[in-house]
Amino acid sequence: MRVALSGLVAFAVAAATPALAQNANPLPAGDGRDIVAVACSQCHYLGTIAKIRDGAAGWRMYVDNMVLRGAQLTPAEIDKVVDYLSLNLGPGANLPPAKPVTLPDGAGKNLVETRCELCHDLERVATIERGRAQWPAIVANMVARGATATPEEAKTISDYLAANFGN
Amino acid sequence: MKDLIKQYLDHGLSRRQLVSGLSALGMSTVAAKAVAQNLSPVAQGAAPPTAAAAAPTAIREVEGNGGRLFVEQLKSAGVEYIFFNPSTGDHPIFDALVDVAEIKLIKGIQEGAVVAMADGYARASGRTGVVVVANIGLPNAMTQMVNTWKDQIPMLVAVASIDQNALGRDQWQETDHHELMTEPITKWFWQVQSTAAMAETTRRALKFAATPPCGPVFLSLPTNTLEEHAKTQVWERSKFDVPMRIRPDKDDVEKAARMLIEAQNPLISIGDEITWSGGQKELIELAELLGAPVAGEMGNLGYWSKPFPTRHPLFIGTVLRTMRYPGKPDVLLNLGNRWGEFAALGTKLISIRLDPASLARGAPVDLGMVADLRLAIADLNAAVRSMATASTLKQIADQRAAKVRAYSAQMAEARLAIARGLSDSSPVSMERLGIELEANLDRDACYVADVDSGKTMDPLMAFGGDDKQYFGTGPNVLGWGMAAGFGVKLARPDAPVVSVVGDGSFLFSGPQPLWSMARYRAPVTVIVLNNHSYNNERNRIWNSAGRQFETARDMTCYNGDPDVDFAKAASAFGVEGETVKEPSGLKDAFARAKSATVEGRPYLLDIHIKREGLGAVSEWHPPYSVADLRTRKV
Repeated sequence: MRVALSGLVAFAVAAATPALAQNANPLPAGDGRDIVAVACSQCHYLGTIAKIRDGAAGWRMYVDNMVLRGAQLTPAEIDKVVDYLSLNLGPGANLPPAKPVTLPDGAGKNLVETRCELCHDLERVATIERGRAQWPAIVANMVARGATATPEEAKTISDYLAANFGN
Repeated sequence: MKDLIKQYLDHGLSRRQLVSGLSALGMSTVAAKAVAQNLSPVAQGAAPPTAAAAAPTAIREVEGNGGRLFVEQLKSAGVEYIFFNPSTGDHPIFDALVDVAEIKLIKGIQEGAVVAMADGYARASGRTGVVVVANIGLPNAMTQMVNTWKDQIPMLVAVASIDQNALGRDQWQETDHHELMTEPITKWFWQVQSTAAMAETTRRALKFAATPPCGPVFLSLPTNTLEEHAKTQVWERSKFDVPMRIRPDKDDVEKAARMLIEAQNPLISIGDEITWSGGQKELIELAELLGAPVAGEMGNLGYWSKPFPTRHPLFIGTVLRTMRYPGKPDVLLNLGNRWGEFAALGTKLISIRLDPASLARGAPVDLGMVADLRLAIADLNAAVRSMATASTLKQIADQRAAKVRAYSAQMAEARLAIARGLSDSSPVSMERLGIELEANLDRDACYVADVDSGKTMDPLMAFGGDDKQYFGTGPNVLGWGMAAGFGVKLARPDAPVVSVVGDGSFLFSGPQPLWSMARYRAPVTVIVLNNHSYNNERNRIWNSAGRQFETARDMTCYNGDPDVDFAKAASAFGVEGETVKEPSGLKDAFARAKSATVEGRPYLLDIHIKREGLGAVSEWHPPYSVADLRTRKV
């Protein structure tokens, strides 16, 4: 199941729509969008940014990496950009329509549906098998980036994924 | 010795004669070569004596078979090495070399590696790399010739080809007009028409290769022309050298100088032609005179050198279409940068290029000049100084530079802070490795990079000026780095050489370059940045936000299955090495590598590196099994 957008996020989507129609900037409106649009578009397409949902730690990894590659952002601007991305493209924010995917029953199914789908649809999870040992690493990476899960919940999620989509 | 040096500087002696003279005075060959190198008027791109100064013995009559004539012409032109892989048809060349001590044969065990060795040698020495490989191996050689072509490095590639009397019979290794294959990636290609024409055609090939803008040339040597005899002339290089040290038009220089003085927000974009012309010192002088920010390199894509010190406070990093800092320039001075001509609307673009073909090729240029970059920048410096008093210029420069210095210092600190924050991750982060390399490499090291993912590491290190010298390739045809590292070491035996390659690059070249390192005891440190992936490639592919991104399926870039043990591979080729998986192991591993190279042995470090970016954690790859296709177990 797909989680409902928060009121703040729903507002952001509504506010962003006219801007998208006007200038084809795929990024939602918000303080910091102009910096992102100018600094990031020097080297790559902005559409991918608009499709990513990540936590503050995850976005910082991307932005720091880009600064090392030559993006012209001062430390204060790095913080501003990370704040913009975390708020407007964070877990659950401005989510595009998801493809319907039905997961097999089992302990952890509900957690996957409510936590993982805050950043990406379940086609990323449920259509291929990965090595069983890979799932804990993937889930740990998601938590490190900002996904909400206690250690017990993270284990439940990775056990579920390994059992149903592991080989 | 003083007399010898004076004669050399007055062009009365060739480099070879200088080295011989110094050796006769008791100096070691290495020391004599180092003196000659230091006396060279440019950093790279050895300046030949002028034609007018050439001695009468510059032209000799030689009689022999085509192989001998080919070798004698190379010898007279000052060629020191032939990089090769043997083929039957080339035997007259190799037979001739038995009695020619001046030229040494350097063997590689795959044609791509042979070309990359010659390419690295040419970049580091400024001389023409000469390659002789098998006719049928030409396509292998061509993979690396693309790097040589795009970066305009002088190289002669020759193959022994089908006997002219048998051409067109569709013999087993014959492809019709094979020299045409090389057309898009050579300045010139030719088939030697007769033994009598062998030396002349070879000279012509060397001339085309070494006349700036330089590049590879290809010669097809039919076996009958190599085997038959003739009597012909061979010439020293001074007799067919084309001096291209051209000064720009004086009026244009003055116009450019005035524009730069009067500019409110000038920017200097720099490229590899400065390196080739040896104009690095003049560039620093110009930047400081104007107080102008300097931008140029973009990782190692598009550039092969770093002609401006990256730790200089006026260096602001990558040149971008929209420069947020220092803001939109009103005057952009593009110096020898093929990719530097993209001024925003309203920006005046001055472009000075060695290569007229790519000047004003894709963007409008307000003031274009074709010139040697060192001379052009020197003239520009003089013109700027002549137009204003020293105190006025200082005032202008100080005002501009204060802003730039503040920005570059702030960004250097920010980059270091980011890197330190990632320094304890396991496997080793690229950023931690950058910090460690900066701390452990000698300042005079030659850093030979063939690693796309290394872009985040390079800005943490100091290159150019008195710091490490950077060698890469513009087009990034992988598989170049290890072999090129060998070539750089051959050209600069007294400089520490570090070849940094990704696992992708190693797998492209294979371990073949290690064979040459072991055979010739080349003390090069090879560092394999092993992130088990074409990491940057995956990021770029996923950045299109297509189905791989949507489904988190890395269809193309994961290399970790099988997990290649590069240290073990090196061992099989006679090169010591080790694997480093944790950041805490780096320092000691570097020390062991240094001990080995000091003792004259190559050493390989297989450093496990953390993948980063989109899809970095995934190890999934399409699970095909050929064994599973079988219907019976055979």
